[in-house]
Order: sequence, then C-alpha cells, then structure tokens
Amino acid sequence: MWPFTGGAPSLWLALYLLTFALHAVFVSYVLAGAGYALIQSLRKVEDPIAERVRDRLPFMLGCGITAGVAPLLFIQLLYQRRFYTANLLMGPRWGAVVPALIVGFYALYLAKAKTSMRVRRLALAIGTVCFLFVAWSWTELDQLMTAEPAWRAMYAAGQRVYGDAAIYPRLLLWLGAMLSLFAIVASWWCSGNERRRLAILGLAGRGISVAAAFLLVGAGGALHGNAHGWLDLLIVALVVEAAGWIWMLRAPDGRALSLVTGAGAAAVICATVVREAPRLALLEPARPGASEASGFPLFALTLIVGAATIVWVWRVISRP
Amino acid sequence: MVPASIPYYPVNEFGPLMKGLVIGGVGILHVFLAQFAIGGGLLLYYFERMAQRGVPHARTFVDGYFKILVLVSFVTGALTGVAMWFTTIQVGARTIGLMVDEFHWVWATEWVWFAVEIVTGYAFYRFAPRLDDRTRRRLLLIYAAAAWMSLFWINGILSWQLTPGRWLDGAGMWAGFFNASFWPSLLFRTAVAATLGALVACVVINTMDLDRDAKAALIRRASRFAAPMAIMPVLALWFFAAIPADSRQWLMGGSMPMTMFVGVAAGASTLIGGYVIVGLIVKRLYINGATATLLLVLAFGATAAGEFVREGARKPYTVRGVLYSTSITPAEVARLRVDGAVTSDPYPLRDEASYPTAQLRHGAKVHRALCDACHTLHGANALVELTRTWTDDQLRLNVSKLQRTKAFMPPFAGNAADVEALIQLLRWETADRPASWPVSDAPGTLAQITTWLDEVGTAATGAAR
Repeated sequence: MWPFTGGAPSLWLALYLLTFALHAVFVSYVLAGAGYALIQSLRKVEDPIAERVRDRLPFMLGCGITAGVAPLLFIQLLYQRRFYTANLLMGPRWGAVVPALIVGFYALYLAKAKTSMRVRRLALAIGTVCFLFVAWSWTELDQLMTAEPAWRAMYAAGQRVYGDAAIYPRLLLWLGAMLSLFAIVASWWCSGNERRRLAILGLAGRGISVAAAFLLVGAGGALHGNAHGWLDLLIVALVVEAAGWIWMLRAPDGRALSLVTGAGAAAVICATVVREAPRLALLEPARPGASEASGFPLFALTLIVGAATIVWVWRVISRP
Repeated sequence: MVPASIPYYPVNEFGPLMKGLVIGGVGILHVFLAQFAIGGGLLLYYFERMAQRGVPHARTFVDGYFKILVLVSFVTGALTGVAMWFTTIQVGARTIGLMVDEFHWVWATEWVWFAVEIVTGYAFYRFAPRLDDRTRRRLLLIYAAAAWMSLFWINGILSWQLTPGRWLDGAGMWAGFFNASFWPSLLFRTAVAATLGALVACVVINTMDLDRDAKAALIRRASRFAAPMAIMPVLALWFFAAIPADSRQWLMGGSMPMTMFVGVAAGASTLIGGYVIVGLIVKRLYINGATATLLLVLAFGATAAGEFVREGARKPYTVRGVLYSTSITPAEVARLRVDGAVTSDPYPLRDEASYPTAQLRHGAKVHRALCDACHTLHGANALVELTRTWTDDQLRLNVSKLQRTKAFMPPFAGNAADVEALIQLLRWETADRPASWPVSDAPGTLAQITTWLDEVGTAATGAAR
C-alpha cells in the first residue's frame, strides 16, 4: 500500500510516520494546553480544566520529547542529506530549540508549583512562547529541507531564517490541529459542561486549520503532493470528528468522545501521510550500509517488552 | 559501509570556538547528567530496599532524591541528549550519518528503553506515595534497569568509533558493537554512574531536615554505593590495553595536552576515590554538603577530562579506519589529490568579497573543507598562531606531509594548488588581511609540493586498528 512499497525504507517510513503522529499528540497537548491555561489565568477564571492541564503539562512534555526522538532518528535515514543540510543552514538559530525547550520545561514545573498567580502567568507565558518558537522552527526546517534551489543563496547570505511565504499558514494549520488534539486528550479527564467547552475548542481548532489551508494555497504552498487517497481519508476522518464534536455538545457524557478520539486518531495518521506526500518524491535512495544494517529483531523484541512494561505501569498506577 | 560519493554540506563556524569545544561542552554536560541518572536510579532501588527493611529516613530520602532526579535528569539530561544529535550534525554531519546508518536499530532499541525509563520515572514521581512496597520496588528496579540499558546500547556505538575491530573486515554490526573497548568502557561508565549517584546523595542528605546522626547513617549507606570506584584503575588499564597502539601512545606522553587530560581525570578520580573509600567507607567519617558538592564538581572535572581523552584518542579519525575528522574516507583522499579538495563543493564563501584574490578565496574554501573541523584561524587551536613562525617552505612541507607532521592529523586531501592556496591564506591572515596580496603560482613551487604529496602518499600514519 502506498507509500509503504516494501523494503527497509518503507519500514523506516512507517515508523517515522507513526512515531511522529504520537509525538504530535503529546506536543499538541503541551502547546495548546499551555496557551489555554495561560488565557484562563489571564482571564482570572477558576477553571478545573486549566488546573488539570497545568498539573499534567510537564509529564506530557516529557512524553512529547521522548516520542519525538524516534522520528528524529528515522528522518535521518529517509532524508539524511536534506535534513542535515537544513540543520546546518539554520545553524545556531535551529539549535536554539533545545534551550527553548529546557526553559519551557522548567517554566511548566513552575506553573504547576504552588506559586502566586503572577508567577504562574509569567511561567505559562514563557512556556507558550518557547513552544511556539519550537513549532515555528520545526515548520521552517521541514520546508527548508525540500527547498534545495534556495540552499546555496541562503548559505552565501548567512541567513538563518528561511521565511518562505508558506511557512506561517502551514504553522497556523498545525496550531489549529493542535488545539483539536488537545481538546480530544483533555476531554478524557472531563465530563459534562467541561466537555462541551472542549468540544467548542475542538471544532474551533479544525476551523482554524481549514482557514489556514486556504491561506496556504493562496501563499503558493501545496497542501499535499499525490497523496493517493490519503487526503480523502483525512477529509472523511475530519467530517466524522466534527460530527462527534457536535454530538458531544449535545450529549457530553455519551459515547461521542470515543467517536471523536477514533476519528481524531485516524485524522492525525492520515495528516502525517498527507504532510509527507510532497516530500516522498524527494526520498533519498537507501544507502547500502543503512538498508543492510542488522538489529531489527532486537528492536522488535524490545518494543514488545517495552510496550508491555509501559502497559503494566499504566495498570499499576490506575489501580484505585 | 560508506556512501560512494562525498556528500557536501554547508559549514558553520563558531567564532573563536573550535568545533571540538562546542560538541565537548554539550557532550560533557550530557554524559555527566546521564550517568547521574543511571547511578541515581540504581542507588534509589538500593535505598528503597533499605527503607522496606526498616532503615530510618530511607523512604524520605528516596522521595526527595527522586524529585531532584526528575527535575535535573528528565529535563536537562534528556534535552542535552537531543542537543548532542543537533550539535554532532553541526560538527560532523557525515559521521553521525554513518553512525545512524549502521546502528539505527540499536538506537531505536535504546529509544524504547529511554521511553520505559521516562514513563516509569514519572509514574514513581507522581504515584509513589500511594503504591505498596512491592510495586515501589518493582518500579524503581525497572527505572534503574531501563536507564542502564540506555547506557549499554549507546556505549556500543560510541566505543565502535574508536575500536571498530572486525566490523572493518565486513563482520557485521554486532562485531562492531561488541568491540574491544566495549566492556571496559561499559563497566567504567557504570562505576562512574554509581559514584555520581552516591555523591549527589551525600549532597541531598545534607539538605534533609534530620539530626546529624541520622544524616551520618544515611551517608554511610550512600557512600557504599561509590565503592566500585576501587576497581576503576583496573578498568582504565583494560581500556588502555584495548585501544589502538598509536592512540595509547598519545595518551601516555606522545601528545602532552592529551597526557595532561589523562592526568587530570586520573588525579581527580583518585582524590574522590580516596576520600570516599578511605574517609567515608573505611573511617566512617561524616561529609557535609559543601564538601560533597566540591567532590561532585571534581567529578564533573574528571568526567570532562575523561570525555576529552576518549574523543581525542580517535584522532585522526571520527570512525577509526573509515572516516577522518575531515569527514573524508581514506579512499577519497587519493581521488581528491587529483581532483582538488573543493572542486565539487557547491557552497560559496559567506564573505567572498573580503578576499582580494581568487587564490585566497580558494584557500578559504580549502580551510573550510579540510581544517575547520578542528581548527580556527584566529581563535582556539588557531592555525595562524600554530604556523606564524614557520617559513613558507616549512609550511608547504608540513601541510603536504600532514600525517607525518603530526601523527594525529589526517593526510592532506587535496592537490598542490590546494596546498599553495591554503598557505597563501594563512600568510595573508598572519599579515592582518591586507587589501592586496600577490598570487603565488610559480611552477617550481607547485612541482615541489606535488613531489612532497607523492612522497608521503595518501595513507594515515597509524594502523586502522
């Protein structure tokens, strides 16, 4: 099945897309959640959702960073030359994502701690700005990887910001999707009216993404390459998800959340494939050393053991 | 093993910092924090067992120590690991590319253990107070084991860079992974991790609200955890015996800076080991927070020196026998001697207009391609200062026969015109970049350089193993 057409690169691609989707769920909770908690603290509203979000943000960021390491590994196999070149062209401005994440991480711990409202607001603001910077940087890097004709001139000019017109609509598209993903995850810890509020956020997030898609096309950017039907699946998933949100607005404690979660999961997986489609034409031929490397059985076995361990941990801590 | 064509990447400079300092700074911090996380995990399991056997205050210590572990190791420790990847790309993209190509399934395996470590760690951090004894013990055991497994897998990749062994003969990934320096390196790092865990414990215990006797009792138990330091000299000797002969010679006096770093690492480790084993374990002395912190700083110094030694011992390679520090393979050197070092480099200079002649621009590109990985022009390890007092012909000879000038330098990967362009660049920089500079292209000079290049050949001085 396209784009998984066999051999080691297909396996790398599948693992890249799956782990990227997982990473996207966690970081969506972090970025949108930090922004949500910040807005609620600025509004001086007592909000149980924001309280729970603040409490979970450091853990979710830890999971997001951990999940992000895997796609970082597989992207080096799929697009090594392009990924390294984009890294080098952006240079220290790209490297700044690491201190930004460290500062943002500690800011989340500070926001979680029992501090004054003023400190909490400041910490949430710092965290949100840091994570926005990281999101913007990733979007730039992602686009710069595909822009080979621009590399030479960018290097000669010593520019560190790519600044293509499609960057900001694309970032906005992702920010909208992040809001929806955040709403899905946060809904599992809520009920009643809280879920209704999150349903509105979920719908709003998708609305932002749709508007950003039009802006992206207007700016000359491509929504997808030849995505071989994955875009159609994405649209279906989004329609089902929207229906689920509307259902949740009417009956917040029913099964709507399961529907939204299933459709949202399908949407994020389809979206990662659609996002990848234009770049797949630029996929580098597998280097012999990489495609012949041994160790997959070890990884597969460790993955099974690791997943079982994580499930066991989850069950243990979920016991009343 | 290595792609047939040379991948050209844009090169970044870091002002007065040579690239080794940049990656060294990030790497040392990461190694220190990662080893603390491993030792801390093992120590916490040990203390949890003590707590369940009724040792007073051990439970309080476990919960307090774990918060520090999460705040330091899960944040800065984890993110400096990501930073290592990004920094390595900046310093040697081809090297990290080769490592990823060859060991990506090992890296993916390490990632699974990292994920287990993070999930288990957060689970303990948040839910430990309401868990029963057995579950607490199990969680800590999984956490400690997962952290150590990360070390196990990464250690194989790092030690392969220095002693790839039978992997060079096509014996496969596992032959490279379980290489000659794998076990001494793994055991040495485990001993270091245990020591760091114990030293941090001594600092933490001093911050606890307990009377002196209670603190002393906890310190005595924590200090036992640093006992593996006693076998570190043996492990270090084993490591020295396993590394290539030329690397060993540089560490043992052949290169004074390297020898001094060996001395710093050994001296600092001896001081820490002496204090811990004689003072804390044998004499059962008390250690206050200030002294424990001082020992921890000393341990950071020992880690820094040790990592410098490990990195330096690989020269002139980043992967022994396969890839030079210039990111060029031994086979490619012969080709570049004919084609020229920068003929295929697609990237222009960033400051092209500042060079008065085409030859100087050529020289700047040669410097960027062949020297920039380890040298700057005017900052750290500055070529201008290293060569300032040499005559022109001495400079030409030394650059042409680079692997003979210094055994830890790679062979010059360019032709006579490249050598001369580089020499003119260095002279122009030494003269403070005047507005005009004569072109040096006398046939006799180029012929002499060609003779020297032919005489020295394209092989490195030392053996590949």
